[in-house]
Amino acid sequence: MASSGGELGGVFDHHVQRAVCDTRAKYREGRRPRAVKVYTINLESRYLLIQGVPAVGAMKELVERFALYGAIEQYNPLDEYPAEDFTEVYLIKFMNLQSARTAKRKMDEQSFFGGLLHVCYAPEFETVEETRKKLQERKAYIARTAKNKDHYMTKKKLVTELKDTKDFRQDFHSGTSGFCATTQNTSTGNLDPCLPYSCELPLCYFSSKCACSSGQHMDRASNFSQDGRNHAETVEHCMYNDSLQKIQMKPFKNSLACPGAQKAIPSSEAVDRFMPRTTQLQERKRRREDDRKIGTFLETSTSSNEVMIGPLLPDIPKVDMHDDSLNTTANLIRNKLQEVISSVPKPPEDKLEDVHTSRPLKQRRRI
Amino acid sequence: MAQKPKVDPHVGRLGYLQALVTEFQETESQDAKEQVLANLANFAYDPNNYQYLRQLQVLDLFLDSLSEENETLVEFAIGGLCNLCPDRANREHILQTGGIPLIINCLSSPNEETVLSAVTTIMYLSSPGSGSHPELTAMPVVQCMLRFSLSANTRLRNLAQIFLEDFCSPSQVAEARTWRAHSALGIPLPRTEAPQQP
Repeated sequence: MASSGGELGGVFDHHVQRAVCDTRAKYREGRRPRAVKVYTINLESRYLLIQGVPAVGAMKELVERFALYGAIEQYNPLDEYPAEDFTEVYLIKFMNLQSARTAKRKMDEQSFFGGLLHVCYAPEFETVEETRKKLQERKAYIARTAKNKDHYMTKKKLVTELKDTKDFRQDFHSGTSGFCATTQNTSTGNLDPCLPYSCELPLCYFSSKCACSSGQHMDRASNFSQDGRNHAETVEHCMYNDSLQKIQMKPFKNSLACPGAQKAIPSSEAVDRFMPRTTQLQERKRRREDDRKIGTFLETSTSSNEVMIGPLLPDIPKVDMHDDSLNTTANLIRNKLQEVISSVPKPPEDKLEDVHTSRPLKQRRRI
Repeated sequence: MAQKPKVDPHVGRLGYLQALVTEFQETESQDAKEQVLANLANFAYDPNNYQYLRQLQVLDLFLDSLSEENETLVEFAIGGLCNLCPDRANREHILQTGGIPLIINCLSSPNEETVLSAVTTIMYLSSPGSGSHPELTAMPVVQCMLRFSLSANTRLRNLAQIFLEDFCSPSQVAEARTWRAHSALGIPLPRTEAPQQP
């Protein structure tokens, strides 16, 4: 693994293009033939070395072609770098690492003015500060991605729980041990979305026990924790987590049930007060018309007799347009919107009212 | 970077990784082992895969492979660790399962990439300023980094310098300097250059 010199501009092993691997198993053959190589953050760099550029005075075109992938900070030919006859070697420094990675991936092995380019990273050109920054950015990127993923997974989990709460509760009770073990495995508290996969997969690197998913998870959990006590604590922790999630779920559920609730409660109120239903409907209609006349909308007016369950819809902010006609228009629109919103649980009445004023109102049967 | 696998869509990423791990465990061919390990190490670059990799215990697979005789396998394994260790959960796992001595051993490898990956992994496992794990800034390690910092190899020199500046206290560095003359513990430099004489 000798390199012909530590000086800048010398040939390094990582510049040399390796032979493509042709002995790969079918299931893991990629779309493009590739060499067997591992890319770490050390190897990647904002500096790209481009070999095989035909010596036809096309530096400008070369740089333009690479600039498609991101801003270039500087570029220069490397005259002392060993090159094949009639070819040149260039060094291009990108402004950020991601552009360099994309450019390398896209431009490697591409034809350019009749020649095949060989693009590789040249981290030896970095200064200490650039290397330091590169390592820090990588760490920050991973921290950011992990945090977003946690956030996304928790949200996703909440939504899927909401959709099939019954199923989840059943699953939770049956798969408690699995759930807890994975929570322990991922110390960030990430909910493991792969639980369904683990049921199918029998093999795992260290498991010598038999292929039961929950048993598997238990085994790994015991590998982790030194004593059974830790495991028990984790179980409690899981239960606590889950009960917290259930509490968070409640307001969500209730807001969805809101229209239904609004329907149900007035009827019960009607029963309590022995008021005939027609009166309720007519009263509400009257109130709405009053509001429209006044030209303002107060949420409490429609909801004084109704109990609002769940989160209130946000109040539409009133903006003064500094023009009378515009303000009137805005108010009319606003009222219409409010009317539509408030009349959601009882669409038929409004519709009938607007369209067929002559026909008497149909009374909707309420349970 | 990671390749796009030709795999049944319904198998998914986890299934593919599982297949890789299985092949690694079962195959007799060194070539196949190298290819699979490289594939896994490249997957370890993408944080989206970390939960799968932890689930399949690929981290332990990497740590185990550090003791292989085949230098290529060691290079790929430490590369994989270097890729995934900045993540906090992965870092914890490596520290808890006693990965530090194995990684420090890699500093003595004749393979340049192995050494570079090992230095970077040690940096990601430490927090800035000497503190979290004393083994990571133990005397032999600091001495080794001092030698690297005088190396003709730019990449190694840069990394060693960052380690000494950001992850060691000035007193540790000073102590290592005085010890260097007397210490019998020598961690040889990688084969790519002539040994440095004080």
